[in-house]
Amino acid sequence: MSNCYFRFWGVRGSYAAPHESHLGVGGNTSCVEIRADDHLLVCDGGTGIISLGEALMGQSELSEMMVLFTHYHWDHICGLPFFQPAFSPSWNIRFFGPGDTAADIEERLSNQMKAPYFPVETETWMADINYVEPNEAGLQYGPIKISYFNVHHPGVTYGYCAEVNDKRIVYVSDNEVQFLKSSIAKRIHEFDEDEHELLERMVSEQRSAELSSIEGVDVLIHDSQYTPNDYEKKRGWGHSCYVDTVNLAIDADVKCLYLYHHDPTYNDDQVSAIHQDCLQIIRERKADMECHVAREGMKIDL
Amino acid sequence: MQTEQPTIVLVDDSEAMRDFFAQVAEEANFRLLAYASADASLEFLGSERPQLLFLNVMMPNKDGYTFLKELRSEDLHSETKIVMISSKDYAQDRVAAKQLGVLEFVAKPVSKKSLRTIIDKYLGGHSAGA
Repeated sequence: MSNCYFRFWGVRGSYAAPHESHLGVGGNTSCVEIRADDHLLVCDGGTGIISLGEALMGQSELSEMMVLFTHYHWDHICGLPFFQPAFSPSWNIRFFGPGDTAADIEERLSNQMKAPYFPVETETWMADINYVEPNEAGLQYGPIKISYFNVHHPGVTYGYCAEVNDKRIVYVSDNEVQFLKSSIAKRIHEFDEDEHELLERMVSEQRSAELSSIEGVDVLIHDSQYTPNDYEKKRGWGHSCYVDTVNLAIDADVKCLYLYHHDPTYNDDQVSAIHQDCLQIIRERKADMECHVAREGMKIDL
Repeated sequence: MQTEQPTIVLVDDSEAMRDFFAQVAEEANFRLLAYASADASLEFLGSERPQLLFLNVMMPNKDGYTFLKELRSEDLHSETKIVMISSKDYAQDRVAAKQLGVLEFVAKPVSKKSLRTIIDKYLGGHSAGA
């Protein structure tokens, strides 16, 4: 019997929110564990990876893993200096993320632990650490096939697709959906009538590109950080309004959407209200997609 | 007397953008070589330097930053005039592009008028006289 699942260890965006009013959803920043029998894939190293590390140190079944980083903003890497397996000689860890070479990836991950920002540097890691060379054709980790693609967020940021147990899981923690469309709407007065057809084609192309990387996937874990009101104020910050996320997932025939990268200022009730509105949108569009709030500790079998 | 047309290269996976540049090229009298990917553009950029290169940021396979760094490492393109053009209108992207030595970072969408102004700025008023 196979042991394949994914589990949320951190679901917040931007910064940790360990407030009592937020803990039903969870206060830790981005980290998702994907397990395929004896292979462990970790997406992002936010504060959630600290608890994952503690859990891993308390077992003897596994001694190697691969950790993928979508990008190197703090909320995605700040748990790494406290990730116990990295300091243990019994572990073998492969790291991958944006960068032209494996050395680039090492440099970006190491910098946050340099003096004066942290008391020990990555040289003190005792695990067998390897940085994986980029490969446009994708990566293979044991039975897990991994592909990556660029998403709409400041700097180079990746989304990942992991194929596990004949299921496709796409992890897009930070992505501003429909950014070009909203840019055009704001600047339409700059264009002559005869340029409007071009603008429509550009929007259509971008939509196709957004859909292509998630078309028909079994699980989509996606940025849904803002309410429509907050998105108006924070457009251009690199995150999505949940309305755009749920509509994107419906358009792409996603089977199951997990709302992710919750805004740290939203308490449990506010996240619940977002979820209810998403379910309403799904009903109104007569779609049969499942939609859940990603909550810390939630484990889903694959 | 006919003056030689300057060559402008566009690398962008967006077919709409390539068509848009083609329209401007026709009106502004420059030679446009438009490619859908970094690899495809090496057909020209592998051995020649354009008067101006427009480079998109987000593209499948090789992104604009990676390609830009590769180009800058070649003697042939160490001084090539490059403008980044992207739907990613974020401060971090503008800074990254600047650090890689581009002349300008242009946010999509760009109008014909704006594009001609940019070309004029870096090609010495070429399109204004067309």
